[in-house]
Amino acid sequence: MAAPIRILTAVPICDGHDSAINTINLEFIRHGIEVVYLGYHRYAEDIVRAAIQEDVRAVGISSYNGGHVEFFVEVVKQLRKRGADDIAVFGGGGGTITHHDQQVMQKRGVDKIFFAGTSLTDMVDFVHERYGKAHKHTGRRGAPADMQLARKLTEIEDRYAGKKGRRPTSNVQRSTSKGGKNKSVGTRVIGFTGPGGAGKTTLIDELVLRLLQREAKSRIAILSHDPSVVGAGALLGDRATMINSQHDRVFMRSMATRGQAGGLSPATEDCLQLLAQSGFDYVIIETVGTGQEAMPFQSKLVDQTVLVMNPDYGARLQLQKIVMLDLADIIVVNKSDQDRARTAMSEIGRRVEQNGREQRVLATVAKRHRDAGVDQLCDLLTQPKTKTLKKGKRK
Amino acid sequence: MSKLGNVVEAIEKYNKFVENEVKRARADKKFGQQMVDRWNEIKAKIPFGSAPTGLKLPRLALPEIDEAGDITRYLLGDGLPGEFPFLNGAYREMYLEPLQSPAIEIGAYEKNGHKGKSNGVAAGVSPANRAAAKNDPERPTRPPLQQAEEPTRLFSGLMLAEDTNERFHFLGAHQRSKRLSTAFDGPTLYGIDSDAPGILGKIGEGGVAVDTVEDMVRLYDGFDLGSPDFSASMTISGPAPIIMAMYIAAAKRRFGSNIVPKLRGTIQADIFKEVQAQNETIFPVEASLRFLTDMMEFTTREMPRWYPVSISGYHIGEAGSTPVQQAAYTLSNGFAYAEMMAARGIPVDEFGPRLSFFLDCGLDVEYIALTRVSRRIWAIGMRDAFGAGHKAQMFKVHTQTSGRSLVAAEFKNNLTRTAAELMLSYMNGTNSCHSNSADEPFTTPSEEWIRLAAHGQAILLDESGIFKHTMNMLSGSPGMKAVERAVEAAILEEFREIERLGGVMGAVENRYQRSQIQTAAHRYEQQIYDGTRPIIALNKYRNRDEEMPEFELARTPRAKQQLQVDRLKQFKKKNAAKAEKALAKLAAVAETGDNCFPALLEAAEVCSLGQITGRLQEVVGHFRPMV
Repeated sequence: MAAPIRILTAVPICDGHDSAINTINLEFIRHGIEVVYLGYHRYAEDIVRAAIQEDVRAVGISSYNGGHVEFFVEVVKQLRKRGADDIAVFGGGGGTITHHDQQVMQKRGVDKIFFAGTSLTDMVDFVHERYGKAHKHTGRRGAPADMQLARKLTEIEDRYAGKKGRRPTSNVQRSTSKGGKNKSVGTRVIGFTGPGGAGKTTLIDELVLRLLQREAKSRIAILSHDPSVVGAGALLGDRATMINSQHDRVFMRSMATRGQAGGLSPATEDCLQLLAQSGFDYVIIETVGTGQEAMPFQSKLVDQTVLVMNPDYGARLQLQKIVMLDLADIIVVNKSDQDRARTAMSEIGRRVEQNGREQRVLATVAKRHRDAGVDQLCDLLTQPKTKTLKKGKRK
Repeated sequence: MSKLGNVVEAIEKYNKFVENEVKRARADKKFGQQMVDRWNEIKAKIPFGSAPTGLKLPRLALPEIDEAGDITRYLLGDGLPGEFPFLNGAYREMYLEPLQSPAIEIGAYEKNGHKGKSNGVAAGVSPANRAAAKNDPERPTRPPLQQAEEPTRLFSGLMLAEDTNERFHFLGAHQRSKRLSTAFDGPTLYGIDSDAPGILGKIGEGGVAVDTVEDMVRLYDGFDLGSPDFSASMTISGPAPIIMAMYIAAAKRRFGSNIVPKLRGTIQADIFKEVQAQNETIFPVEASLRFLTDMMEFTTREMPRWYPVSISGYHIGEAGSTPVQQAAYTLSNGFAYAEMMAARGIPVDEFGPRLSFFLDCGLDVEYIALTRVSRRIWAIGMRDAFGAGHKAQMFKVHTQTSGRSLVAAEFKNNLTRTAAELMLSYMNGTNSCHSNSADEPFTTPSEEWIRLAAHGQAILLDESGIFKHTMNMLSGSPGMKAVERAVEAAILEEFREIERLGGVMGAVENRYQRSQIQTAAHRYEQQIYDGTRPIIALNKYRNRDEEMPEFELARTPRAKQQLQVDRLKQFKKKNAAKAEKALAKLAAVAETGDNCFPALLEAAEVCSLGQITGRLQEVVGHFRPMV
């Protein structure tokens, strides 16, 4: 089975018209395409950075608010400038893009413009035909580090796509208990998990904002997961929400689970291994929304694990069933401005006491600007590694 | 429970009350006779007019009923035009042409009505809402026939402030009243300055570029902002409080401080619909709502002729919602704003009449009665859940025909689509209406098609006899009643779901409205694809050989964009010291819970839009987009 086509879609800066792109995204993923959706009101620079990090085959731009000639051409120009000539740019804008505009845009490197009245099927067919073949990297040699890393991650993912369920032979050095060069010196790997809707993505983005502000040189990698639709593609939408993580010191990669249960992708471990070896100060890994029995971070590469919870998990009895409450180093009760948060904090506190480990329980409101709870989480995650913060006992 | 829960209860209770009264009218002879007497009295008072052919017609048509229970159900459940619960119209006469001989003094139809002072020229109130969707210069807007002002709402917004100003003067050259509607360019809508990196191509596109109070002065130069014949409408929401402050600052600069209470107009300012559908939000939701309420509090107290929010379903409909979703989200947003204002201690009868609505009208069957039902729900909710008096019960609405229903294939068919939508809009008793141009799928509307769109309304209202002789001409058919019942039940069901999610705010945080709208939009496209939703000339009776017409589009020249950047830089240089002081003060107020609007007014004198946005974002953060 060939690896799914990965493309990135976005709406330009000062444009909030996302109705068309939302519908198109849904149609793409129904037909086996993985879509990294960057959202609306996005700068050309952010689109280009994301396209390179995600190593997508093409960028689709939906523009309805004018200035499209300049914008599309700017994206093409910046991609070329950064050596990513092989990432194609296509898009549309209903009736706002004229045939004359299209000619100008195509002359300046835009691959394809769809006009009003194009059916969704035609667009899907176009993407399959035009971008279905494997990436031919035409970028110049000595590509920037981000691009090399991105391409290696694609290689890993694609290898797994070919061999379902089995671990392919890999060039990446595998983590072994005896070590080897598993990790760059000083790299800290943090795993975030928790049920859907608990606010993991927002929390990570707020954490990234603080890391960028506190540490002027730190570089951060994020490995974020979204579920694949059964038998189809995936909508990888975390970037749209993670506004602070669209930054030159952040390398972010969105992965689809591609049929694997438990919150991660079959290729996650190898991808994580590669990122851990790549000199980042922090590598953050986010699972999809997980169930009670999930224990996604078996990897020895993960230094600390954070379980993000919603205050309304149901009756107290439910807590007994959540495996990660035994394993996580830090438990965050997010949305703690909700009525049930106090009860949740004390119930979870008692539940965690039974473990007899030094687990921390924190309350946060990630959506709140400058939230003190998130500050505290950042403190915990950045303090020098001590025994208590190293991985607890796990089986 | 949020207030929306109270609204649902109020409507259920009111519907039960009506049915009980119907039973009582049938069982209790005395009460029944009272209702019959009242009915006969109303009928006796209805004046007659005549059509050009000489045919005599009553100016109000009533159902042919004479049984006490039916009469009770009609008077209490539907209400006469202009009377609670306003199903048949917010005003008494709406689109009727004036009587030839004003001999008959039209008093209240009912003696005991708590109906306020409606006068003969009921439709002569300024239309509730003139905000039109953005991107379309000079949209023809058609308010009711008896409008004291000319019907044309001069919608424009292109290039730089002086270009739009010139356009306003050109469009309004032969009109006494100047009713200007302003569209802003993308950077302005997002609170970004024209000199920000990465946005050059966007300056003056799709609307006018406004960065500073100086631009605001240029924009309305030559117009008397305090005149009763002038009103300004501004289609902007995310940075609305800042733009409002700039408008006030510009008016003060030109006419002195005494101008403020005289300012008349509308600013869209609808944050909820931005978050749910249109995506032009720049601060986190709570902060946006706080700045909005700060502004509404100020205008309600200091600017009695200003409409500080235009609660808009149009963009929800255009983003792909079903008609029921559109009405349900818009109404619930309205109730949420009312709740916010009430929480500030402002009496409902002060802010209520300043709330106005803006709806989309497409071709789906729900539109037979969508606005009628909305008016009824609003009235009952405001009266019984908020304790509002007559004026604050009225759902005043501007309707725009659906842009989304128009298609590029054989685009002249769009004239027919728009005509049908206009018919539906007026059947619903809209207070004013805007008809889209047939060439919209391709381009910003051109002169030729704008003219045809405006004429469509005139043909319907002036030329045809459908709406000008008799109120209720097309109200109350069995089919319409069936739609009313079904739509009301569906809207209430949506309300209950929103309430279950913690009210409008809770539902917004759960992305409920967004995901519902997206699902509906996707289903609509699939229906077009599989043919279950026929669109003529697109998926039915398609002409495969048709060539798309090509239109010329107005683009902002590079030199003009550069001019805007240059003069903004000069403004910033000139005001650097004062700006820093004003921004520091604004930030300090924003840190507290106090009303920011006075500090915003000061900052608007010396700071650019982007400077203010940026400083406020430092305090309250950025909006985190919802996918």
